Amino acid sequence: MFELILQTIVNALVASSATALMAVGLVLIFGVMRVINFAHGELFMVGAYAVWYLYAQNGWPFMAAIAAALVVVLLIGLVMERFLFRPMRGNPLGGLIMSVGVLFILQVVAVEFGGVGLMKHVPSAVRGTVDLFGTGVLVPWQRVVVIGVSAVLLILLWLFLHRTKVGFALRACAQDPEAAALQGISINKFSLIAMGLGAGLAGAAGGVMAPLVRVDPYMGHSVIVTAFIVIIVGGVGSLEGAVLAAVLYTFFHTFVTTFYDGTIATILGLLIMLLVLIVKPTGIMGTSEKV
Amino acid sequence: MKGLGVNRRQFLGGTAAGLALAGSTKLTRRAFAADKVVRIGFLAPLTGEVAAWGLPGLYGCQIWAEQVNAAGGVNINGEPHRIEFSSYDDEYLADKALQGAQKLVLEDDVKFIMMLGGDPWPGVQPFANRAKMLVSTLLPSDLSPDTPYLIAPAEVHPIYNVTGVEWLAEQRPELKTVAMCAQEDALGLPSIATYRAAFEAAGIDIVYDKFFDISTTDFAPIMTAMLASNPDIICLDTAYPDFVNLLTEQAFLQGFKGQMISCTCDNYQQIVDKTSPEFMEGFVFQFPDFDDPAMQQEQINFSNPKAFYETYQSRYPGTWSAVSWEYAAIMEQWKNAAEKAGSVEPLDVLEAMTEGGKGQHVFGPATWWGEELFGIDNALVGDWPVVAIRDGKAQIQEFRSIPAWWDKHKDLLLKHMSDLGQLWDQRT
Repeated sequence: MFELILQTIVNALVASSATALMAVGLVLIFGVMRVINFAHGELFMVGAYAVWYLYAQNGWPFMAAIAAALVVVLLIGLVMERFLFRPMRGNPLGGLIMSVGVLFILQVVAVEFGGVGLMKHVPSAVRGTVDLFGTGVLVPWQRVVVIGVSAVLLILLWLFLHRTKVGFALRACAQDPEAAALQGISINKFSLIAMGLGAGLAGAAGGVMAPLVRVDPYMGHSVIVTAFIVIIVGGVGSLEGAVLAAVLYTFFHTFVTTFYDGTIATILGLLIMLLVLIVKPTGIMGTSEKV
Repeated sequence: MKGLGVNRRQFLGGTAAGLALAGSTKLTRRAFAADKVVRIGFLAPLTGEVAAWGLPGLYGCQIWAEQVNAAGGVNINGEPHRIEFSSYDDEYLADKALQGAQKLVLEDDVKFIMMLGGDPWPGVQPFANRAKMLVSTLLPSDLSPDTPYLIAPAEVHPIYNVTGVEWLAEQRPELKTVAMCAQEDALGLPSIATYRAAFEAAGIDIVYDKFFDISTTDFAPIMTAMLASNPDIICLDTAYPDFVNLLTEQAFLQGFKGQMISCTCDNYQQIVDKTSPEFMEGFVFQFPDFDDPAMQQEQINFSNPKAFYETYQSRYPGTWSAVSWEYAAIMEQWKNAAEKAGSVEPLDVLEAMTEGGKGQHVFGPATWWGEELFGIDNALVGDWPVVAIRDGKAQIQEFRSIPAWWDKHKDLLLKHMSDLGQLWDQRT
């Protein structure tokens, strides 16, 4: 039983790492731009495709491919902000519809680029397993890479947001865009930064997870649902809440899947989200908006 | 060549296939001076998450048509007819499928429609009945007494899976327990029921038996739970090909040393690369490569399966799957029936195809069957191959009779199908 629990903890850690990267990006975009980015799952998909193309097809080093995935998706995010979301600022429905449009466009581009059918083959960058503390619990090295890359990116993001002037300004925009603008902070500039960062993190998450998941044009569906549950539970607009909720949700989901049933785990996850919305509509760490 | 992702062998194979096709095009033009054409409808998911069950089939049909047309096409009362396909992407949606069926019948004047079946079929059924259009499905669970023009001539999914379990139990009697899982959908439910019956008939205890959510992305927790039951056998039922890929990799990474069995093992070479030849040795599934020596035997009802397979592999490397040949195999049966009937009209072909309750399945002589499960004898069953991976390559181990298993154990199968609401009168 001890081995089973340990294996489940490792599985949950991997899932929470990638989920946290996705959710943090989504929160950043919503916080600054007030746009619910339904295309965030497809940005994850583009990251996975970039790694497939560069690493699996063209022999780039895995880490270089992840860095390239981050940059490619970051650039897509910048284009989305400048040409699609910015004209829709102040119109949440318009932004939402734009993001749904991008979702379909990216799916079609992926189909044209890589075709449909069986998933793309992305081999593990680091093969083999490690015996965790000699317990007999085998952890694939590729999963250790996911945890490591995610942790590094999240720490870098935290340092950026809490130790740099740009980061302070970004958080100010997320807390209260109007007050930030009154202080001379350019909302245009920081929307661009938020969108680029959020998209880049989704791309990195897709890239690092590519060897572990089904890489196909429609892979974004499942991850976006999980990411939305996480940011609602964590508190829309709260980066710390997103990370905390990512850990709580994925641990809950993984344990229920392992010890009871995967379908029930998904249903219970959605029920928990509904419960949070009823009991604490602002989420675990969210705050009420000022009137 | 490396930069293009093509090795020398693939390049030479592709070039040879291309030259052969270029030559065959000339022959075709000469043979069809009268330009008589029979249009066949291909109505299946070509995009979206279920495209893996449709698109490879269209590729296979196109190759099949090139080969058949090069050899003179379909001979109807002494006149050669060229086969052409009209395809429509139903996106695995009922309303799209109906639009597609209407377009294929009313605008393209097709004489036969091939579908994947499943969710899109209810949208098409009333129209197909009104138009008296012959339609084929890969999913016999679409059959009912209300579907007189719907046939399942290629695969009777998932009933043939009993042959793999029966064979495995005979070969390895020391295996006593099994853990199995499948996604909870129209493929997974009857599959679990069938494997339950097959393992019970074989005297193998089921120690884990659960469905997983179709939106699952990380299969590590599912495999962890399965391995915790300490099974001798891991059975992946009719999990989608990508799920089989990821679940098998997880079994390998989490240290499973036992036997694996699954309905499909598409693109198994990729799975061998991800795991190891030793791990995959003996993996049992049900879908052969068509260059298998056993597929070249006289009983096989498919023209030149080896050439078909090699052309497919050279043109679409790494995409060979269960459905790559199934739609083409249906076309082979349709062609034989149309030539026998001397007509391409749907009802004439159906009558010729089902005459005397006997037919020619791709794997040999077969019987139209299914009333107790589907309410109508419109499913063609006979022998089915048991395939295992040997030295990194799929090899047919044996052809086994589905009707023979049914005669011995049908009560078990009916019970488990009924328990999961999979009999025709239980489905909505």
